[in-house]
Amino acid sequence: MAESNYKSNKLIGLVIFGLLAFLTLVEFGLAIYSTSWILLTLLAIIKAGLVMYYYMHIYRLFTPDNDTNRHSYAYKLVTNRLGLWLFMLSDAFIFGGLLISRFNLMGLTRPELSQPLGLAVTSILLVSSFFANRAETSMGNGDRRQFIISTIITIVLGSLFILGVLGVEWQLAPFKASDGVQGAVSYTMTGFHVFHVFTGVVFLGIVLRNTMHGHYSQEKHWAVEASVVYWHFVDVVWIFFYPALYLIGTIH
Amino acid sequence: MKKFFSLGLVRGLIWQIIGTGIGVGIVILIRILMGLPPWKAEPATVFGALLGVFFFLAGVGAFTDWFKMAKGEEVEEMPDESHLGAMRYFGVSLDHKVIGIQYMVFSIILMSVGGVFALIFRTELAETGMQFLSLIEYNTLMSLHGIVMIVSILVGIAAIMNYTVPLLIGASDMAFPRLNAFSFWVGVPSGLVILSSLFLGGFDTGWTGYPPLSVRAPLGMQMFFLGVAMVGFTSILGSINIIASIIRLRAKGMNPFRMPIFIWAAIATSIISLTATQLIGLSFEMVMFQRLFGMGFFDPVKGGNPILFQHLFWFYSHPAVYVFVLPGLGIISELLPVFVRKPLFGYKWVAMSSLGIAMVGFLVWGHHMFTSGMAEYLRVPFMYSTLLVAIPTGVKFFSWVATLWKGKITFPVPMLFVLASIVVFLLGGLTGPPNATISTDLHLQDTYYIVGHFHDTLFGGFMFPFFAAVYFWFPKMTGRRLNEKLGKLHFWLVTPAFFMLSLWMMRIGLLGMRRRIADYDPALQFQSFHQVMTIAGFIIALGVLVFIINLIWSAKKGEPAPGNIWNSRSPEWQVPSPMPVHNYGRQFEVVGEPYDYGLPGSTYVKFEGE
Repeated sequence: MAESNYKSNKLIGLVIFGLLAFLTLVEFGLAIYSTSWILLTLLAIIKAGLVMYYYMHIYRLFTPDNDTNRHSYAYKLVTNRLGLWLFMLSDAFIFGGLLISRFNLMGLTRPELSQPLGLAVTSILLVSSFFANRAETSMGNGDRRQFIISTIITIVLGSLFILGVLGVEWQLAPFKASDGVQGAVSYTMTGFHVFHVFTGVVFLGIVLRNTMHGHYSQEKHWAVEASVVYWHFVDVVWIFFYPALYLIGTIH
Repeated sequence: MKKFFSLGLVRGLIWQIIGTGIGVGIVILIRILMGLPPWKAEPATVFGALLGVFFFLAGVGAFTDWFKMAKGEEVEEMPDESHLGAMRYFGVSLDHKVIGIQYMVFSIILMSVGGVFALIFRTELAETGMQFLSLIEYNTLMSLHGIVMIVSILVGIAAIMNYTVPLLIGASDMAFPRLNAFSFWVGVPSGLVILSSLFLGGFDTGWTGYPPLSVRAPLGMQMFFLGVAMVGFTSILGSINIIASIIRLRAKGMNPFRMPIFIWAAIATSIISLTATQLIGLSFEMVMFQRLFGMGFFDPVKGGNPILFQHLFWFYSHPAVYVFVLPGLGIISELLPVFVRKPLFGYKWVAMSSLGIAMVGFLVWGHHMFTSGMAEYLRVPFMYSTLLVAIPTGVKFFSWVATLWKGKITFPVPMLFVLASIVVFLLGGLTGPPNATISTDLHLQDTYYIVGHFHDTLFGGFMFPFFAAVYFWFPKMTGRRLNEKLGKLHFWLVTPAFFMLSLWMMRIGLLGMRRRIADYDPALQFQSFHQVMTIAGFIIALGVLVFIINLIWSAKKGEPAPGNIWNSRSPEWQVPSPMPVHNYGRQFEVVGEPYDYGLPGSTYVKFEGE
């Protein structure tokens, strides 16, 4: 039973990944032929919904407690989940504020950033999200080896993303931070986001190290769940930042 | 001496200095490596101050347990720190009661500092012409008075909520005790960063920090921005804790409508500070980036928009006033039935009105910008949404008056402050609609009328309830009650003087006195008004001094008060004072309504084994 459950969870992860990849390509293609921000926003919301439900398991917040003892692990786990989600809600406001600033200052124009590069870093983050989900699923089924492999891949892809933005994007951009609003907006938005990716990588690194020292188990792995959910949150932010920075509008 | 250096606070401060030095050094090093001239004050100070805050936190020990967790070591779940005695107040403690008292002391210290700033520039204003302050000194003191008081209020509400929320809901601690300690300790170095702007050239924008002025202000501006953005984490992380604790750790049988009314206020206030605080942080960071990296957010030459700053800023800073007053209004509703010996009138309406104020509060920020050049069509909607706030607030007033009606009222010091806050807040509330209405606001904007209005709302909504709460719960903290005579003296000094101050503020505001200015034309004949206000300010300060003396004296020598001295039905008063280490030894169950005072045979809580 547990074995088939594991397989079906892995399958769900794969299907959702396929769906997200497809929607991303639709976004990219759409942006070539149309400048409709409504459709792109709608697609982003659908993608974010998929990630929040299937990868971040938002429904777990609303499942009733099966153990009402305040000091039990199960009860605390639900409290911890609530705390993490409250933190992410709060954090979402800062990114929301950045998006509002972007549209206030630039309207339906966008910074002059390389679109293929944007698609590349987005794909990297998307694939990393798939492996993060796979890592959590395998830990939940006691498959430690698979967990370690998936986490390492996630960390590598996350680092590649940071490298792609800081090392390639920022160097190739035809404007500096001090060049008009497009510089201000794009460097601040990517900067805030990369900082969050960086914290996510550190978090995953800590979890990976502790797993190698044999710390988490199939039943008790809140730290794994937290780091993965946080990773997906950073991905959700990028789901909105990607169209806002690369797709919506005409070049500034 | 060794004992002195073992105090977390002392270690933190030493490390903050070291960290600041290291931060400055790193910036110099990077600049040398990049081939730039090594010294540039702004990036060096900002990075130094930022690093200083983190070094303080590491030095004080706020990270210790988290580092252990990251290394996979076990940490103690609920350590008993009572053997440390008074020492635990100077270091990281996980006990919410200790943290609450730390917050309280920190708040009173900040309040005194901010008050002294006010006294200095009030004295300057007593006469026309500049007597002993330079213009930038005046501006810096005026701006710092604003922000230090605001931080003090944020810390003050955190004090009340931290101390009382777990007690009122019957929890042994907050949901995340380490995060709770971190929230407090991040406020201390950030407060120091804000104050350090005094020595770095000050700043002259007022507490709002509008660009483009704030882009050109002296270096002190950056310390203000950085400090406030960091203090924001106190609010954000604190409210995560409050919300999670209230949702997850309530006693058995305490369904939402049997929670103490203050809990509703705490939830409402936490929802605002959890979400909106990020935007003031963001807006301040954007100005910091503009100053540091030349980013053009608010620079029209580069296509930026200064109005955007005001939108982001007020999206937090208006709801923030509800963050300041909602806990205070909750305190009024919480204490009133105790001293009136009658049920709280319209419990559900009062509970919903707190949430209502919080929700409407998100939609009103534009009323600060009627004269700023904001889009014209936004004015009227913001006017109506602002006037809408009067409805839930009115619900609260009806409830208080109806609760007082035909009650058996007694007048110990907490009740005096509760009654004063109702009157003062009413005055503050009624002077609000003229500011919300566009036609009148165009004349009132930036006058002393506004100053009088918000001093009224903040004294009525925070200061007086805060005093009431301290007088009320002090026996729970220490086992001794505050001296009643000194308390009455405190009350009778502060209250009349405050009326004098705020009414005169509004009066000269209507007569045309501009706010924030360092000097005024003698032909306006405002000297006598300003002298009255200055004297009133000093009397208030004297009253607060009496309060502080009372706190220190009564903590050691006050009349012992081990039992339920207010005859309250609330669970924390059913156990002896001071509160035991992990709160309730025996769990309780809620079996009745919280405020059924005077109804025979009704009980609120039943302890295990009773």
